Amino acid sequence: MNEEIAFWILSAIAVLGALVAVRKRNLIHGVFALLVFFAGLSGLFLLLLAEFIAAVQVLVYIGAVGVLLLFAIMLTERVAGDDGRRMTSRGSFWGLVVAVAVFVVLLLPAIQELPPPEAAQAIDPSVKQLGHKLMNPYVVTLEVLALLLTAALIGAVTAAQGVRMPKEEDSQE
Amino acid sequence: MSILGGGIFKGMAVTLRNFVGSYINKKERLPTNDYSWRPDGDLPQGIGDYPKEEGEQLSDTTTVTEYSRNFPMLLHDGGEPMDTVRCVACQICERECPPQCIYIEKDYDENGKYIKRPAVFDIDVSVCMSCQICVEVCPFDAIVMNSQFELSTPDRFGGLLVRRDDLLKSNDYYHQIHPEEAAARDQKMAVEKAAKEAKKKAAAEKARAAAEQKAAEAAKAETKEGAE
Amino acid sequence: MNFELLIDILIATVPLMLIFATLFAFTTWLERKALARIQNRIGPNKVGIPCTRISLFGLGQPAADGIKMLFKEDIVPRGADRLFHLLAPILALIPSMLVLCFLPLDFPWLNENSVKAFLLDGAVIFFFAITGLNTLAVFMAGWASRNKYSLLGGMRAVAQMVSYEIPLVLSAVIVVMMVGSLNAAEIAKAQTGWDWFVFSPWGFAAFVIFFIAALAETNRSPFDLPEAESEIIAGYFTEYSGFKFALFFLGEYIAMFAISGLAVTLFLGGGDGPGLAVLPWLSVIWFLAKIFALIAVMIWLRGTLPRLRVDQLMGFAWKFMLPLSILNILVAGFAWHAEQLDNTFITVITWVISLAILYGAASGLNQLNRGKVRPREYKYAE
Repeated sequence: MNEEIAFWILSAIAVLGALVAVRKRNLIHGVFALLVFFAGLSGLFLLLLAEFIAAVQVLVYIGAVGVLLLFAIMLTERVAGDDGRRMTSRGSFWGLVVAVAVFVVLLLPAIQELPPPEAAQAIDPSVKQLGHKLMNPYVVTLEVLALLLTAALIGAVTAAQGVRMPKEEDSQE
Repeated sequence: MSILGGGIFKGMAVTLRNFVGSYINKKERLPTNDYSWRPDGDLPQGIGDYPKEEGEQLSDTTTVTEYSRNFPMLLHDGGEPMDTVRCVACQICERECPPQCIYIEKDYDENGKYIKRPAVFDIDVSVCMSCQICVEVCPFDAIVMNSQFELSTPDRFGGLLVRRDDLLKSNDYYHQIHPEEAAARDQKMAVEKAAKEAKKKAAAEKARAAAEQKAAEAAKAETKEGAE
Repeated sequence: MNFELLIDILIATVPLMLIFATLFAFTTWLERKALARIQNRIGPNKVGIPCTRISLFGLGQPAADGIKMLFKEDIVPRGADRLFHLLAPILALIPSMLVLCFLPLDFPWLNENSVKAFLLDGAVIFFFAITGLNTLAVFMAGWASRNKYSLLGGMRAVAQMVSYEIPLVLSAVIVVMMVGSLNAAEIAKAQTGWDWFVFSPWGFAAFVIFFIAALAETNRSPFDLPEAESEIIAGYFTEYSGFKFALFFLGEYIAMFAISGLAVTLFLGGGDGPGLAVLPWLSVIWFLAKIFALIAVMIWLRGTLPRLRVDQLMGFAWKFMLPLSILNILVAGFAWHAEQLDNTFITVITWVISLAILYGAASGLNQLNRGKVRPREYKYAE
């Protein structure tokens, strides 16, 4: 019973956050609403007893990706804030159709009453299991992901150094 | 090469010594609170004793130390202030003051001749930055730093403009609040006065000697004329 | 609504908030007095018991400050984002207070139901996740003030906090690796009997790295460039007056407590000390005493060291602390395997070798990063 109430509250937070994030004119407000959405998602992960994933969601999405988005908005001129322009969206009808279709497709497993898969009960959601699984058999995936992230990091540094942007922390003088 | 982070540890040792020493060895480690020149010696009734009982006039001199200073004051040598005021309104301090907070007007007597005292001497203490330049440049030791800090007033337009009569304080008061400095200044003035007297006497001697010589020469010229 | 659950939650959280709020007041007083004594002056010593003349060494000063801040006018700059201006101090306070619940303080009045919510299996990583929300609050504060210097201070603060999060987490990873669990209570229990992690070479290095990174995370000296008075007035909370400033202040100090608490849990034994067999609740006293020792060291460092410049700050994080913490993980990994062999000779050799490696690496990195002294080049003065 408590879990149901928690689920509805967290889902409401997540959905409202996402709606505000896409509808707000002011970009900074939108990003913060997106962060609220991430927080709601993290709560939903907690409800599924995946503590590690919930913590990592907060740590990575809110703490890193959110801050990254904010920095990107801040460092781009005249993008932040509300500049009052109204955009026209001419394909909004078909966009709505596609969105409803995707929603229905995603809801199908919940609407149909499928039998629960047996393997679900055997999964131990603790961090230890996660660690064991990451080391074998998923170790190659882990290393490839690490390599990918390193490549992205080096590429980002190279891209940043290539464009001569004025440094915002020039405290020498 | 010293230990990694050795500089930080040395610095921490210094601050620890400061911290512990401020409890044990107060005179050395709390120099700005040095009350040793006062007759009762140690950290006195100034601390924790303020404000005093109701109605008692708050006197700044109980809590002031030798090197404290706040805003300037004019000195006079006792008696009626304007009779013995040292300031001659030379306006050097007015010109040297960096924020230009001093305003001086010379005093003239009935005939329009300049008397050596100020008629108007205003210091705007809301502007004064207590740099003490006026004290350093005064040739007459007339302006020194006071330590009075009870200067707040509800009048925000003219209340912080201190006039001449409020600036005048006696030399005895100066001895009371800054004894070492006042004694040093008095000694300097005495030495200067003695030097001036000696010079005057020497000049008088020389004038007398020159006059004697001239008289002797005149007498010799007379006798010479008389002889011819 | 389940009343027992509610009461259990309240029992777990309210005393914690009260205790740490009181400790916060005491710490502000202690900091002012200790800094003053280090700087050859006496700190506040006039305010004692209110409405009397008794001045108990100025212990009433925090109360006086609190009352003053409550009564100050709340000024919001014109054109500032009012909603965010209000939310930023709240968002600065919430993560700091929340992570206090994850510390393994077993108060005597807690039964097993009330702590169940907070004895998470992933407590340590939750700690780091929630401490990361502080960066958001700082950013929000800098943005909402509509003041370019606040924004600059906010961005610098966020850059600093994000950079120092990595050595912070990596040095905690060492402890997690040695214990094998992310559970804070289990980590604290694994160090009973004076078997603290700080007494091993990799643990000591990790502790030093963690402490320095904690200083940077909470914007304490010598890393307090974002809120330095002589640099940028107050940085990201320049435009905050009255109670909002008090909330920021409170959030900063409680974050100090929380991170010190985590350092104590991970490295200093967390409640371990003499006399535990006799009085079990003495562990709380020991925990708080250790937190206070760390806070005292933080205050001591504040009185000793000059402030780091922003490029020195970032260079220190990325070029010194990060390689050292990664190397530390490697060394700790080898040492763990060596300890599994259960041979004292090998253990001693491992300790000596790891000590040598870590010290050599630290000195080497220091020498590498030492800037070459060049004659100064002037860009505009020629």
